[in-house]
Amino acid sequence: MNLFRQSRRSSTLANAPLIGMIVALVGGIIPLGERVASWVFFGFFAACIVRILLNRPGARLPSLPVKLFLFVASIGGVAISYGSPVGIEPGFSILVALVGLKLIEANGPRDFHVLGLLGFFLALCDLFFSQDFVRWLYVAAILLLVLATLVRFHRGRGAASYPRSAWLAVKLLAQALPIAALLFLFFPRVYGGFRFQFSQSLMNIGGMSDRLSPGSISSMALNGDIVFRADFPDGNIPPISAMYWRGGVLWRGEGLTWVLGPFLSHERRTGLLGGPAVRQRISLQPHGGRWLFALDSPASDERDLRGATYQPGNVLQSRRVIISRFRYEILSRPENRETTLPRDHRIAALHLPSHVDPRVRALVDSWKVGNPAPEQIVESARRYFRREHFVYSLQPGTYSDAHGLEEFLFERRQGFCEHYAAAFATLMRLAGIPSRIVIGYHGGEFNSLGKYVIVRQSDAHAWCEVWIKDTGWQRVDPTDMIAPDRISSNFATFLQTHTAQPDPDSAQGSLAATGLREIQHDLQLAWDSLNYQWDLHVLNFDEEAQNNFLLSLGLGSTSWVDILFWIVLTVALFIAALSYLLRRPQGRVDKVAQGYASFCRALARAGLPREPWEGAQHFGARAARQFPEQATFLERISALYVELRYSPARPNPHAFLAAVRRLPRFTAPHGN
Amino acid sequence: MQSSPTGRVWVWPNGRTLGLTAVLVAMCYAGASQSNGAAYLLCFLLTSLAIVSVVHAWANLHGLKITVETILPVFAGDEVVAPVVVSGKRGRSHFSVQVSATREVPLTPGDTIVPDAPLRLEVRFPSPGRGHHRVVPLHLTSDYPLGFFTAHQRVKAAHDFYVYPAPHGSLPFPTTIAPTRQPRDGVRHEGDDFGGTRMWQQGESQRHIDWKAAARNPVLLTKQWTGETDEILYFEWGALPALDTEARLSQLTKWIVSAERGFETYELRLPGKTIRASRGDGHFHECLRALASFEGPAAS
Repeated sequence: MNLFRQSRRSSTLANAPLIGMIVALVGGIIPLGERVASWVFFGFFAACIVRILLNRPGARLPSLPVKLFLFVASIGGVAISYGSPVGIEPGFSILVALVGLKLIEANGPRDFHVLGLLGFFLALCDLFFSQDFVRWLYVAAILLLVLATLVRFHRGRGAASYPRSAWLAVKLLAQALPIAALLFLFFPRVYGGFRFQFSQSLMNIGGMSDRLSPGSISSMALNGDIVFRADFPDGNIPPISAMYWRGGVLWRGEGLTWVLGPFLSHERRTGLLGGPAVRQRISLQPHGGRWLFALDSPASDERDLRGATYQPGNVLQSRRVIISRFRYEILSRPENRETTLPRDHRIAALHLPSHVDPRVRALVDSWKVGNPAPEQIVESARRYFRREHFVYSLQPGTYSDAHGLEEFLFERRQGFCEHYAAAFATLMRLAGIPSRIVIGYHGGEFNSLGKYVIVRQSDAHAWCEVWIKDTGWQRVDPTDMIAPDRISSNFATFLQTHTAQPDPDSAQGSLAATGLREIQHDLQLAWDSLNYQWDLHVLNFDEEAQNNFLLSLGLGSTSWVDILFWIVLTVALFIAALSYLLRRPQGRVDKVAQGYASFCRALARAGLPREPWEGAQHFGARAARQFPEQATFLERISALYVELRYSPARPNPHAFLAAVRRLPRFTAPHGN
Repeated sequence: MQSSPTGRVWVWPNGRTLGLTAVLVAMCYAGASQSNGAAYLLCFLLTSLAIVSVVHAWANLHGLKITVETILPVFAGDEVVAPVVVSGKRGRSHFSVQVSATREVPLTPGDTIVPDAPLRLEVRFPSPGRGHHRVVPLHLTSDYPLGFFTAHQRVKAAHDFYVYPAPHGSLPFPTTIAPTRQPRDGVRHEGDDFGGTRMWQQGESQRHIDWKAAARNPVLLTKQWTGETDEILYFEWGALPALDTEARLSQLTKWIVSAERGFETYELRLPGKTIRASRGDGHFHECLRALASFEGPAAS
């Protein structure tokens, strides 16, 4: 029991810095909330409250055995709730638990600094989940709060005030910015070659899978997450409706469900026909897969692709999994066509589902009457979809696995783009026309402010390609026939126009509402534009971008040693300037005191120093006796000074200062 | 009270700098391994903050003026108490300034010096060896503003103070030249003047017991009587040949302390210096100063 009593100390931390630090830590932990066991999360808040309560006078902090118990219990608890103490989420849970425990036991300056460092570390952890501009501002706010708290702590009990500490923290941050910018631009970057990468499991990765089944795209239709942003450095921007962002190609279909299919040979990329080129710069958000999206269809030379290869079906694939934002430049030629179809591609593109309903076969046979050309069969199929009252619907209901195709074609006739693409491709194969499905994104939102296109998960799309001899693979988008405005506008607008109920009574109100919505939309675009710039210039400033930057400054061939030398030199100069500024007296300058001091110095030079005990009047009289020629001037200055210092009327110091400025050389009369 | 020459302000890393470095390395590693530009930016921002805080730590100690006021003499082994006045020049505030005699930083937040209000504090430190000291070694430290660096300034505050030899030794008072009436124990028992009281001991005469005080106290006190005497105690350096220098000085100090307490008249004879027989505070301190600044028999 002795151990219990002896190890209990009362808190020595002042309330104000402690509470500031707790607020900062809570701010750092909130974004981690999703990744942390909920009991740990709430346990942390409990720890905050307990620590504040323990800061009352008379209360004592927990004893060593209690702390040990809490430590073992929280680590054990995390291990039990996740089955293992190792891993991303158990790791973060343990981190949060340890921060809570440290908070409970923190006492004294050393522990307080440990809390501050934990605050910095939590800020870093917040950046693992999201790096957009808002998150960074949030992290900067936490940083500022920790700094203000540390300053507040170091000001001690006497002179402490939060506004002043925060103001100093802001000043520190502002003074640190130039050095930070310098380091950011010039400090040598190293990327890659690290084994430990956990962004994949940290980022909220959703989106495309390697599989198309009913519902796989419609499930993303309301997901506004950004997939990538693309700008067009050549200024050659195709219309939104023609933007088919090619992702992956699916070769094997079973009714409405399509998968990647067999391994195929690489097509020879020699027979390219050319056509106009569209150059895109794409900033891809991490998606956990390997697809790289590009406008239909990518035609860059393989050598120009950084870490990416072409896959069969003319799609791009990254060599590495995209777990951090990835930026690439690609050239597309929308009119480009292949001229030869490799044998295994033809076999794969004609592979039929194992079960085909006779009604489907009859439908296809009806198109083949008269042995028409493949183009005519495609046209028949398009006409079929246009005429038979198919409905484009976000909630088409579920189709059975085995008979989904015929159910969709003949009974329900409701579907989203994946239904149409899958059905169309299957029908083409039954008709003997090689076909495949392309998944990717269609359209996007053009940000006129930043001149770039934002593509979101809701723009996910699937379409069909058929092989026509002498033309090559040709895109057929069955959705175009069912819901043409889905293709001509982006999905968000499509949803808006198709769900809004026109109400004639409130035409006026809805006009205002529309105006408001437009303003809101413009603001959103401006904000996204800011985020995009942040992405481009800060987050994507990697080794390559740094090299380009150095090249543009004409420092391309400078060695890192030289650059580091210049960094150090510049920082040293900056520090010297800063220390000179900080040495200067702060606050109001007492010009009267300065003026009188210069007056005294002048007299001291003339051999009449002012004694430390001497008042201004006495000194003035003594000086007047010493230098009788300037007696009136000396007496006047002394009188003015005395008046300025002691008169209750607060006279204007102008006359005194003017007199001091015209100090003569004091010369003692000869013979004195 | 005189102003003191101050050394340069140096800013040193401390234990927390190590912790900060660890966090910075973690940020840099995260930036590199996760291709996380935001983590890089955070890392660089924090690094720059640390650099800027060094300048602020330096400026916080810069321009402080230290003066030491009268330091009372102490015996060797006792604590010296130095009243220190710290004032800021140039109308600036200085935060969390700690003044101590050693380099080690006490674990309490320091004091704030606001313009026009000098900070007064007492610096206590174990006395240096006996002697006449002319410099008070002081250290100014501050962790302001962020605590990741410690600013340090050495101040050699010029100020005289004496450390007397520690009173040690068990030798009886030396025999005096004047005849004695009874064995000396440092206190005379007979005389005309009341000389205070002390504990009554078994076997002593009951005539001098302070009976009035006995009514108030559970212990018996006996009155002591001292008187003007023509006797002079001669404390001679040469009378203690068996001891080494410091032990002799300690013994002489002990005798002087005892003699002063016993209202004796005493004379100190050191090689090369004799302080004429007298008594009282001035005489007492003169003798002890002589002992403190004694430089050895070679000086004779």
